[in-house]
Amino acid sequence: MGLRNYLSDVASGVKSLLTGMKVTGRLFLRHHKEKITQQYPDNKDTMVYPERFRGEVVMPHDDNNEHACTGCTACELACPNGTIKIITKFDVTPEGKRKKAIDTFIYHLQLCTMCNLCIEACPTDAIKMAQTFEHSVFDRSQLIKKLNQEGSKIREGVE
Amino acid sequence: MAQVIFYIIGAFILGMAILAVTAKQIFRSAIWLLFSLIGVASLYFWMEMYFIAAVQIIVYVGGIIVLVIFAIFLTHQSDEDMPQPSLKRKIASALAILLGLAFTTSLVFQYGFTPSPIPFDTEVNRIGRQMLNTGDGGFALPFEAISMLLLAAMVGCIVIAMRDSRPIQKTESSSSNTLQNHPQEMNT
Amino acid sequence: MMFSLENITNSIHEWLYANLNATLALIIEFAIIGVLVIGLFAALGLVLIMMERKVSSWMQLRLGPNRVGPGGMFQTVADTIKLIVKEGMTPDRVDKLLFNLAPFIVMVIAMVVMAPIMFAKGFQIWDINIGVLFVLAVSSISVIGILIAGWASNNKYSLLGAMRSGAQIVSYELSAGLSVLAIVVLSGGLRMSTIIDAQQTGWWLFKGHIPAIIAFVIFIIAVTAETNRAPFDLAEAESELTGGFHTEYSGMKFALFFLAEYVNIFVVCAIGATLFLGGWMPFHIGNWQAFNHVMDYIPSSIWFFGKTFLLIFIIMWFRWTFPRLRIDQLLQLEWKYLLPISMFNLLLATVVAIAGWHF
Repeated sequence: MGLRNYLSDVASGVKSLLTGMKVTGRLFLRHHKEKITQQYPDNKDTMVYPERFRGEVVMPHDDNNEHACTGCTACELACPNGTIKIITKFDVTPEGKRKKAIDTFIYHLQLCTMCNLCIEACPTDAIKMAQTFEHSVFDRSQLIKKLNQEGSKIREGVE
Repeated sequence: MAQVIFYIIGAFILGMAILAVTAKQIFRSAIWLLFSLIGVASLYFWMEMYFIAAVQIIVYVGGIIVLVIFAIFLTHQSDEDMPQPSLKRKIASALAILLGLAFTTSLVFQYGFTPSPIPFDTEVNRIGRQMLNTGDGGFALPFEAISMLLLAAMVGCIVIAMRDSRPIQKTESSSSNTLQNHPQEMNT
Repeated sequence: MMFSLENITNSIHEWLYANLNATLALIIEFAIIGVLVIGLFAALGLVLIMMERKVSSWMQLRLGPNRVGPGGMFQTVADTIKLIVKEGMTPDRVDKLLFNLAPFIVMVIAMVVMAPIMFAKGFQIWDINIGVLFVLAVSSISVIGILIAGWASNNKYSLLGAMRSGAQIVSYELSAGLSVLAIVVLSGGLRMSTIIDAQQTGWWLFKGHIPAIIAFVIFIIAVTAETNRAPFDLAEAESELTGGFHTEYSGMKFALFFLAEYVNIFVVCAIGATLFLGGWMPFHIGNWQAFNHVMDYIPSSIWFFGKTFLLIFIIMWFRWTFPRLRIDQLLQLEWKYLLPISMFNLLLATVVAIAGWHF
């Protein structure tokens, strides 16, 4: 009984080791076809980004210079390290109602860890992750960005 | 030429041995002892007794010195200087050395070494045959006796090192205490 | 044979002894051997480190070094130049003598172990009559170099690395020795040339049946552990010990440790190739005369180096596949699995050798 356990231990150990070696051996033989290395500065034009790569937070605007941000500050609350700061204002609608809207959407890139929590918190999909990554600048203040463009306003129908 | 090599090796062995005894740090003295033993092995190599030389290296250098170094590693203060021995001890050890030297030299001069005309046979096969030879001049009995001794030592080591297989019984008091304490904490 | 190292060495030997007196000729031969060994060391260091980096990158679907020279060929040359010109620091409060001595001990031992290896037919430094035993004995000294380095550095990481390395090498030496003994029993001699001659009709791995195969597997595992390579690289585990016994070393002294590691890999693989794959013997299949003649036409040195590099590749394959073992797993593997199996295997090999069941 003890001996049988011992031998089956050895056999299963050898089998699992061989399985591992099969994987790396296969990759070794296949390495010409499939390379995951990106030779970055050389292939700048043809570089392929992985789908889920996160570079920075951006707020897409359409052709009419409209965005989808209602200024609900859900992203600001969701952010674990205070990257986002939203300054709101009140617009007056044609009906004479006061409506909350964003004045400035401030994004501190130097604090951001690209955790994606703000994107998930946003109820209107107003912000998303871009794939740009060359963020180095000469002055730290250049990393504080205003995401909503000058004179932009909220798209019709987004509440 | 051959004699020059012999004296160089001999001086190396003795020098390292003296360093081993006089070194201030215990680790260093183990290292000098190691070099001294390697010197003995090289003496065997020089005499073309290759098997003995290899066994000398395997047993003393690869085994014993490594164990000594391990023991030194496991002790505290291995990197501090050892205290000087007292004068009484120094005199006693000097006397012991003199006595040993006198004894050895008297033996050497009494024996009067003469070179043997029979050439060395260093084939390993012959050593093995001799070791297990039950006939005249064979070493089968001592060989088996030593192997029994080593086996007994090994079994003894295993018995000492073996973990107690009985499950550790939990003491009653500790388990009941925790049970009793819990409701009290809840109440307060 | 169109290209034979044996003829070259013999003609050099004869020319030296014909034109000079015996002592001078001997000294010149020593000098030639020394230069050759050092040259081989440098070449091995460059080639093996390059090979390791390429193999690892290919197994991980990376490119590996590709900037210096065509395909990154001169990367190791550049690294070597960098290490040579780098300052060799000796930190304060180390044991200066032993600290500086340790890399040289490791290096010298790696050189001495090369003596009985047969690089080609009749091309060997010293055909000592205890060949394999000599290698086992001398290579057991190299652990002392590691222990000295660990202690003299006056650094707890170094000391821990050295202790792990000591425990590891002392225990794995046993099963490496026993698996070598199985082949020694089959070929009936310790001398390298005897072992190779015994494989005239076929390599031991093929004609030694089960004991030879088990011995081969155990040998490869044990020497991987003895050379401190992953998955047994606890002695220098970067993620736990910042480099283990060579934490405090830099510049050329570090390079000597690094080089010695690779040369040791070459040596143990050369021993493995000699014991199990027939050394310089070409590959023959039974009665296929034409095939055998074609195989004979390939020079023996190419056979030897081909087999050695195949084994080196297998050891590198291990390194880039398996995760590192814990110290208790390491000792368990040796004392509970490898050692009993190799003892049993030695018994089996003896039975096979006495009964003459091998081909």
